[in-house]
Parts: sequence; C-alpha cells; structure tokens
Amino acid sequence: MAKEMIAMLLAGGQGSRLYALTQKLAKPAVPFGGKYRIIDFPLSNCVNSGIDTVGILTQYQPLVLNEYIGNGQPWDLDRLHGGVHVLPPYQQASGSDWYKGTANAIYQNLSFIERYNPQYVIILSGDQICKQDYSDFLKFHKEKGAEFSVAVMEVPWEEAPRFGLMVTDETDRITEFQEKPKNPKSNLASMGIYIFNWDILKKYLIEDEEDPQSENDFGNNIIPNLLRDNRKMYAYHFSGYWKDVGTISSLWEANMEVLDPEHSGINLFDDDWKIYSRNSGMTGHRISASAVVENSMITDGCRVEGTVKHSILYAGVQVAEGAVIEDAVVMGGSVIKSGAVVKHCIIAENVVIGENAVVGAMPEGETNGVATIGPGVYIGDGAKIGPNAMISTNVKDGEEQW
Amino acid sequence: MVNSNSNALGIIFPNSYDSLIPDLVNVRLMASIPFASRYRMIDFILSSMVNCGIDNVSVIVRNNYHSLMDHLGSGREWDLTRKNGGLTIFPPFAEKDSKPYTGRVEALSNILDLLRSQKEKYVVMSDTNIAVNFDFKAMIAEHIASGADVSVAYNEQELPEGVFKTQYNAKGLYYTLSLDEDRRVRKIYVNPRTHGIHNFSMNMFVIGRELLIDLINTAFVRGQVYFERDVLSPQLEKLNVHGFRFDGYLARISDIKSYFEENMKLLDEKNLSGLFDPAPVYTKIRDDNPTRYISGAVAKNIMAADGCVIEGEVENSILFRGVKITKGAKVKNCILMQDTVVEENARVEYLISDKKVTITAGKEMKGTDTYPLYIAKGHQV
Repeated sequence: MAKEMIAMLLAGGQGSRLYALTQKLAKPAVPFGGKYRIIDFPLSNCVNSGIDTVGILTQYQPLVLNEYIGNGQPWDLDRLHGGVHVLPPYQQASGSDWYKGTANAIYQNLSFIERYNPQYVIILSGDQICKQDYSDFLKFHKEKGAEFSVAVMEVPWEEAPRFGLMVTDETDRITEFQEKPKNPKSNLASMGIYIFNWDILKKYLIEDEEDPQSENDFGNNIIPNLLRDNRKMYAYHFSGYWKDVGTISSLWEANMEVLDPEHSGINLFDDDWKIYSRNSGMTGHRISASAVVENSMITDGCRVEGTVKHSILYAGVQVAEGAVIEDAVVMGGSVIKSGAVVKHCIIAENVVIGENAVVGAMPEGETNGVATIGPGVYIGDGAKIGPNAMISTNVKDGEEQW
Repeated sequence: MVNSNSNALGIIFPNSYDSLIPDLVNVRLMASIPFASRYRMIDFILSSMVNCGIDNVSVIVRNNYHSLMDHLGSGREWDLTRKNGGLTIFPPFAEKDSKPYTGRVEALSNILDLLRSQKEKYVVMSDTNIAVNFDFKAMIAEHIASGADVSVAYNEQELPEGVFKTQYNAKGLYYTLSLDEDRRVRKIYVNPRTHGIHNFSMNMFVIGRELLIDLINTAFVRGQVYFERDVLSPQLEKLNVHGFRFDGYLARISDIKSYFEENMKLLDEKNLSGLFDPAPVYTKIRDDNPTRYISGAVAKNIMAADGCVIEGEVENSILFRGVKITKGAKVKNCILMQDTVVEENARVEYLISDKKVTITAGKEMKGTDTYPLYIAKGHQV
C-alpha cells in the first residue's frame, strides 16, 4: 500500500553546544517544556498533519532516544502498516558506514522509503521547537507543481548572514541559495525542513553518493545540485513559532517563552494541536501550604514546599521548604533542598542541590550566563555555582565553582 | 512460569456499592469515579493486580459502564493488552443465558465457562470502592502458607458513618469478621451496627479456581445471591476461610462525605505516600500540558493534575485535569473534577464539581465540611 508522504526525521545530532546536557543523550532527546522532549514536537506535528510513517535516523548516543520512542504508541505511531521506525546505521553486504552527512543518512535508508513507495518525502530536523502543519506545506508543494520545497522563515536582515538563505522570485520560486553569506540577497532562512518528490530525492541522493568530493549534506550539496539542474524549487513561508534550541541560552530562553504563550507564540495549551509525549505516570503535583508559586509551570509528581517564580519544573521535582527557584528550568527527578537558591539556570535530570547551596544568579550588567548542571550531579550543601558555570561532575559541600 | 507471574487471574466487580454515592454514579459506576486528581477508582486495584503479576483480569460490569469502557480501552495503560489473558470486560448480556446480576454469585455464574477454560490456579476478586496499593502477592503467599480454602482481606477500623445510614440490603452489604488466633474466620457479621474497632472486610478474596467454580455452581443452583452471606458464612465450619490483615493505607468510599474526606486526606504527604509509594498506579493518559500558574495566582496546600490554568486563588483543594481558575476567583476546600471552570470573581467553598462544570463569573457557592455541595456533570451555575 503506497503512502502519499512519509517523513524522515534527522535525529542523529550531537548538540555539542549543549555540553553537559548532551553527553549521554542525543539532542532530540533533551527534555523541554515541563514534560516533553524536543523530538515530541516534530513527531506530534507529523501525527497532527496526518503522516503515519516516520523514519527516525539516529547515530549519536541513541539509547535514551530509542527507549523513549519505543513502539511509538504515545504519538499514535504504532501502526499496522507504517508507524515509527528508528533507523540507526547498519551493516550491509558491501560493508558498513556511519552516516557521513544528512543526505548520506537518508541515502543509506533508501530501501526503507522504497517499502512505502510514497509520492513525497518530507525531511525533518529533530532538534527544533516548532508547531507546524506539514499538510499545509504539502498543499503548497502540490499547488506549485514543485519537485522540491523548503520551509523558510523571514529573519531580521542583520541576522540573515547566520543562516542558509533562499533567494526567490515573485512566485516563490528559488533562484539562488546562499549559505551563511556576508552579503545576503534575501532574509528567507531555511528551516531545514524539505519536501521532495520521491523520484527526485532518490535520483539526487544516488548521484550525490557517487561524487567522492561531496560532503553528503542537503544544504551544501543536494540543494546546489538541484539549482544547477534548474529543478522546480519553491520556498514555503512559515510564520509561526520556530526555535533551534542548539545552545544553552536558546534552550533556556525557549523554556521561558513557554511561560508566556500570549507573547512568545509557543502555545502548548492548544487542544487542536496537541504535543504528545511519553507519560511519567506520576501522581498529580502537590503545592504545600508553605509554598509560593508564581508564573510557573508544574507537572505530575512535583512536590513544592518552597518558592518557585517564573520557572518550569519537570516531572517529579522536589522543592523543599525555604528553597528559592527563580527563572530556572529544573528537569525531571531533581531535588532542591531547603535553603538552596537556584536562579537563571538549567538543572538537568536527577540532580540534587544541597542545603543552602547557591546555583546561578540573576543577570547583572555584563554577566548574564545561564548556569548549567548536568544530569545526575550532586551539588553539596552550601556550595556556590557561578552564573557561567557548566557542571558535569559532583561538587563537594561548601565548594565554589564559577 | 517465572516467578513474576503469580498464577492467579483477577476478577473485578466495578458496580459494587454504586448505591452508596448516587450523585457520583449518575453518569458512571463506582469503578470510574474520579479520585486523587488524575485517577479513577478502578486504577488502584487494576494497577495493584498488574504490579503483582496478575495479567489476566476480567471486569464484570452491570450497568452504566460506558465511562468505564472509555477509561479502560484495550487496557494498554495497565499493560493489559496481552495475547494471553489481558483485560476482558463482561457486559451483562455477553452470553445467551447471562443477565444483569445482583450479587457476586450471579455475576460469577455468568462467567463460569470462562473460569473453567483458564489455566491459573488461583482467582483474586475485588470491588473498586477502596483506593489502595495492595500487595496481592503477599496475600496469595499467605493464602498458600495458611493452607486455607479461601482468604479474605480485612483491615482494623471503625465502621464508617456512611454504612450506618444504609437500609438493610438496600445499598449493598458490608461484613465484619470474627477471627481465631490463627486468623481463621469463625463468624461473618452482615451489616453490623455496633461501634468500635472491627475486622472490616475489604471484600477482596483469594480462592482456588476449581473450588470457586464448585462453590458458585452449587450456590447458583440453590438460587443464592451473595458470596459472603450465602456461600461463605454458612460454611465456615467446612471451609477454611483465612483473614489476611492489611495494615497499609487505604481510602474507602462509603458516601459522598467520605469521598470528599478521602480526597482531602491526600493533601497530607504521609497519606499520599501511603497510597502511591508502594508501587506505581497507572491510569488513562490525556496528554495535557503541564499546569500553568499565571502571575497573580495563589496556591496553598493543593494537589493538581496536569492541564490546569490557575490565575486566581486556590487553597486546600484537589484539582483534576484541565481545571481553570480565572482571575479573581477564590476556591477553598473543593474537589474540582476534569475541565471545571471557575470564572472571574466567583467564590466556591466545600464544593464537589463533576466533570465540565462551569461556575460563572461572580457566583458564590458554599457547602460545609459535613455536607459538601455537589454539582452534576456538565452543569453551568
């Protein structure tokens, strides 16, 4: 049974600029927004858009991600025909190879796509926070009679040199592609989301693989080749919320934006576009009589006895009486003991912050760093962690790190 | 079988004691009454069974069971979507000769063929009016060690007020046990009215499957109705009935007041861990977002599920999924079920709102601690 469109989700990214947070897990598995992981967004978008077949290409530290995806049931992707499939690099008769680039990752799984014989293939990135209706994108692709379409965002001109830019004519047809140019001719930045006609994708991936000079990358090789051959390429304008949470500060910022859906545009409270996730299975959260909770998001399993302001607590976080949390992202299972002060920082999963310890500080003049504590770390009683610190090993009682 | 499997099958009676809380079972049955912010009553027994390696569970429904079927689905959330065993729901007219039942004897006689065809050695039976994290493994082990024919779980407590108010036989039966030093049951009292601490039956049983089939067969032919009153009680000399004492935390629903109190008791951390710490409790997933406390919100001593938006004040309350408390609203000592909305400047106290209730702007509603107000599903005040 042929599918109209299937999705290939690139989830092999290491996310090296998230340092301590991605030492043991791939970037798409990084927790986000209280009860989600980043990959929940593209997966939920697929299901909400009517795509029921998704290949997830993994490579870097896949264990957490594999277990999280499981059989795909939380996203309704446990299907008789299709559904979600995790696709790591594998051994073939001709040998085995790691995925050399984004295009090579898809190339190595051409036979997976072949099984479903789709008309279209959408290539997604597993490390962006975005709510997007891919069926709308496909409609555009069909209306234009395109062979390749790319989703683009308008960015401020002064930021344009940081992106891959699409130069288009008045019909949105792409005439030129500029990768991080000094003199941008366009402010339409590629979101790294592409729709290909399946025959075109296959042809260009095979051709690209035969070129020993190629980096096997969509942006650097496939798109320039399509342009060279004057293919029908169009840019689809997307204007919703989109964030590449590639750095500590952008991850922190995106979490904070969740707290202000009225202004930021990232609304998780949308019954018509639910974001699905694997459930923690914990009881409802408890706010004690001693607690103060302001402008925050709190989920199942949390126990709050202290003060929580403008922060996000993930499943099972405990905040003892007398602890203060402000502008912080505290991930699942972490414990903040009494008297601890935790500000303007990211605390990863299963961290313990000892009594009267101080982590991070509110921005003041030049110092506006987001202190980061890696998963499973123990911060001793009375320890001090500065606003620019990146901690991935235990800190003893009373010790200071800046 | 490896020892994760307890060689027992489970049978749950979801309609038992419906009549004790007529308000809440108007649109549902005992088993699907919402409890503890994100659960339904049946979740506790079902999860306990699953956690004890019982993966073949039959639910014998009688009436008003749509909400329960919706909740249980294929049983996936409890890991009961199994090729062998798993979850089976028996509606009253499932087979040619079956009909709605009154007591357990009739209910079980409707599924005798099923019981005969199973392979498990033991049968575990339970109602759903008690929220408890129950160790069926321990009970089965004690059952085997004691050499008993039947084991019945009980706890030591005073009889709840609710049962005194019931007319004999009109609202379901309750039992207390008289035990000898080996905890063999010597006498079963039906609907006793004496005060003081009793060995209060939890109506949870372990019994050999073959023996159960025999007993039910005989009892049904004689036109008997209730398992405890008609089958066990007259045969205490002949049958070795063993009492299994339960000392853990339990929440027993015996009327609307106890429903209110048992929810509120979970605001105490000790009780909450008593109910939830021993083993996980599973429930249907709704995929709500985390609960959001907007600037200006004041929350003190509450338990809340996901999906709530709180902008007003809330104190000493239990909030189920998707509750909205708007700016200026004040909520105190309330149980607000799924998707209740308390609009601007409304004030509510000692209120139990069923699903999808809206308290419109500026309204004031107050019950008392001995008589909480109840607002039925879907109503707008």
